[in-house]
Amino acid sequence: MKTILDKTRALAAMTDNPHLEAARKQGKKIIGYFCSYLPEEILHAAGLIPYRMRAVESKGTMRADAYYSSINCTFVKLCFNKALKGDFAFLDGVVFANGCDHTRRMYDNWRYSKIGTPFLHMFFVPHMINETALEYFSLECGKLKSSLESHFQVSITDEALEKSISLYNRKRRLLAEIYALRKNRDVPIKASELLGLMLAVTAVPVETAIEILTEVKQFIEGRVISRPEDLRLFISGGCIEELEHLELIENCGCVIVADNLCLGTRHFHDEVETQGDPLRAIAKRYLGHLSCPRMMGDFQRRLDCLLGVRKEYRIDGAIIEKLKFCDLWGAEMYLYRAESKNRGIPLLALERELYGGGAGQIKTRVQAFLEKIRNQQATDEGVVRAAGTDYKPK
Amino acid sequence: MKQPRPFQYLKWSADFLNFGYYLTAFPNLSYWALRLARPLYVRRETFFNRKFRYAALILGGGILPPEEIAAYHYGAKAFVDNMKGALKANELGRPVVWVEWIISSEIVNAFDALPFNPETLSVFGNMSGEDVPSQLMEEAESRGFAAENCSAIKVTAGSYMLKQIPRPTAIIAGSHPCDTNVSAYQSITHLTGAPAFYFDAPYWRDEDAFDYYEKNMWCLIDFLEKNLHQKLDWDRLKEVVENENRFNFYLQEICEMMRAIPSPSTMITPVFAWVVREIAIGDPNATEMARRIYEIVKARYEKGVGVVKKENIRVLWWNPPIAFFAYVFKWMEDEFGAVVVKDFIGDVRMPQIDTSSERAMIRDMAKNHLYLAMARQCHGPVEFILSELEQAIEEYSPDCLIFAGHAGCKHGWAVIGLIKDFLKKRGLPSLFMNMDIMDQRHATEDDIKRWITEFFRSNGFV
Repeated sequence: MKTILDKTRALAAMTDNPHLEAARKQGKKIIGYFCSYLPEEILHAAGLIPYRMRAVESKGTMRADAYYSSINCTFVKLCFNKALKGDFAFLDGVVFANGCDHTRRMYDNWRYSKIGTPFLHMFFVPHMINETALEYFSLECGKLKSSLESHFQVSITDEALEKSISLYNRKRRLLAEIYALRKNRDVPIKASELLGLMLAVTAVPVETAIEILTEVKQFIEGRVISRPEDLRLFISGGCIEELEHLELIENCGCVIVADNLCLGTRHFHDEVETQGDPLRAIAKRYLGHLSCPRMMGDFQRRLDCLLGVRKEYRIDGAIIEKLKFCDLWGAEMYLYRAESKNRGIPLLALERELYGGGAGQIKTRVQAFLEKIRNQQATDEGVVRAAGTDYKPK
Repeated sequence: MKQPRPFQYLKWSADFLNFGYYLTAFPNLSYWALRLARPLYVRRETFFNRKFRYAALILGGGILPPEEIAAYHYGAKAFVDNMKGALKANELGRPVVWVEWIISSEIVNAFDALPFNPETLSVFGNMSGEDVPSQLMEEAESRGFAAENCSAIKVTAGSYMLKQIPRPTAIIAGSHPCDTNVSAYQSITHLTGAPAFYFDAPYWRDEDAFDYYEKNMWCLIDFLEKNLHQKLDWDRLKEVVENENRFNFYLQEICEMMRAIPSPSTMITPVFAWVVREIAIGDPNATEMARRIYEIVKARYEKGVGVVKKENIRVLWWNPPIAFFAYVFKWMEDEFGAVVVKDFIGDVRMPQIDTSSERAMIRDMAKNHLYLAMARQCHGPVEFILSELEQAIEEYSPDCLIFAGHAGCKHGWAVIGLIKDFLKKRGLPSLFMNMDIMDQRHATEDDIKRWITEFFRSNGFV
């Protein structure tokens, strides 16, 4: 019999899915978005279904290569290739954001390639977290609201926004509770399963997502997937959507227990306040939530997140990943390297292409990394005396 | 390459420019000296050629006429003052504020502080003939800077790591034009430990966007007052901005006059002026240089005389000029009679700044900054690029376009298909070069010469 995690895994592997199909039959419209800085509540309050864009089921970048170059990222090219092939024809609109240079240019390419999506909107997200930026971001949220109202002939009331906020907060809370279970010594859910879950709940109506999450929470209660000897890792990076990639890492003898990923903690970190002006509260949450390197001057908070979970989740090491040609995560790697060296956190920096293969190389690097941590731990505890050539007694 | 001594490259650049400053005080003498020595540093690849070609060609290489050399004299002075100020800053205890290359430094000039462009060596580092920028980039990469980051910022990091530029008291950077600026300046801040102010460029260019950027400007003033422990001198700022307005006026006029056939100016002049602007905006020497060049170009324009004897090809140059091959425009003029009549960086189209009140000055400065080269084209939708290209094709009568595809500009590469389509529709022959404007490891001077030569030949221009 299929478990709920098998179902979410199946949903994660699809571009379109039966839940969206059912919603469409009821006359609901679906809006794609790319970035965790996009406030889903505004779309939901307009009666729309937010759908996180994904490259799953992609069959290459041949068509997108006519628009992008060889030094643009694979996630964007794979997604755009799907769009050109008509795989996103079920969308009634797409809201783009200036998450990075590659995705912000998709707004341009999408318009000029005449894919035919009826509603296209560019949503500006500031690169700073301060009062001035919040004010401007609130204005942008207002512009998105007006644009949706005008195109879809709906009225987004404060009551509707409050209702949406409440639903999305519930979803966030459930996700946070599921993630928090990984603090335990016996971990009930793998990172690959969680990624499947995240992909699923960002591709279905929020009401369905809440049902799925409730079921998953019940299902994993008392479940143990980790082994006592598994090392506990933190993972951070940009776009990761291959479940197999995380499985490959976890099958090397570790369990990923915490993260700072788009399809991870960043998605549910911090709730929207339920007091005051709802649009302003939404702006505040989305601008101020756990950031990625696109937010300037906020590295300390990202580092604090790692240091916090290191203690709380008993992290043995960290992996930071980037896709090729990603300037944002490329520079973040420098910062992680510098800080992990200063603070003695074992760190593995990986670079790869999305759906780009190279599993053997990645496996070797992960195995070597885990072996190094084990040797260091064993040596530091005085159990084993010779580990690696780089061993330096404390 | 050997590890340099602290400040070796900056000192070398300052000394060379200082020599250039004195030499250009005698423009006729320097013109003939450079012209007679030209076969030594241009034609063949010799030790002497490698060592001195870049520096000699920067000074005009015997092609720039004496009157333009006389104008460059003032630009050289502005460079020298800034570099010497940087070299002496520690000794004098003067705060040094790093102002990243896409941000303008007027406000820093209104404090008792030295604005310093930390990317300086990406251009001037080449003057030693020793490929200094590559060494600096390799240093940054070897210490963890991402290979894909823009080479300009890798040069900054490498310069700091090898102690070639002064330690910053504060840093001013921004979110435009690209992701490297957004992310790698966080690494630079971490590396130096200096407090940083980040400008956040809006996506659109409307009144809301100008409001937002204006607020950024006010925040910058607060930041500098706090970190420099000084108050902004508004009278000084007004003086700087008035100089800047004149500077921009002259450059804008020069760019307008370049629409004429034949073009009365070489694009190398506005590009050189852009470098001067980066380092010393508001400096009376910079303004004097612009005024003199304006007078020269205007005289040629009125006489209907071109900058080259026979203008064969009119070129649009898209993306920044090549730092390690800065004289590429002169080389094209010399070899093919190909004149770059409009480019991405040198073209000035900033609005004038109203200095009637403090508020008006800051407001207009915000607008002005969003019209600076690169900020103007790169921070918003592709129409910011296409409309500028459209206008250039309409107004400058180009025969072709050369796209210097800088590896760091991934936002530009991300709309390369749209740019190609647009140019195809306009029937403009175009050359797209895969290269890096500061990093010869991607494509060398020889590669670029070969590509351009083949492009001109295959399109029947030569």
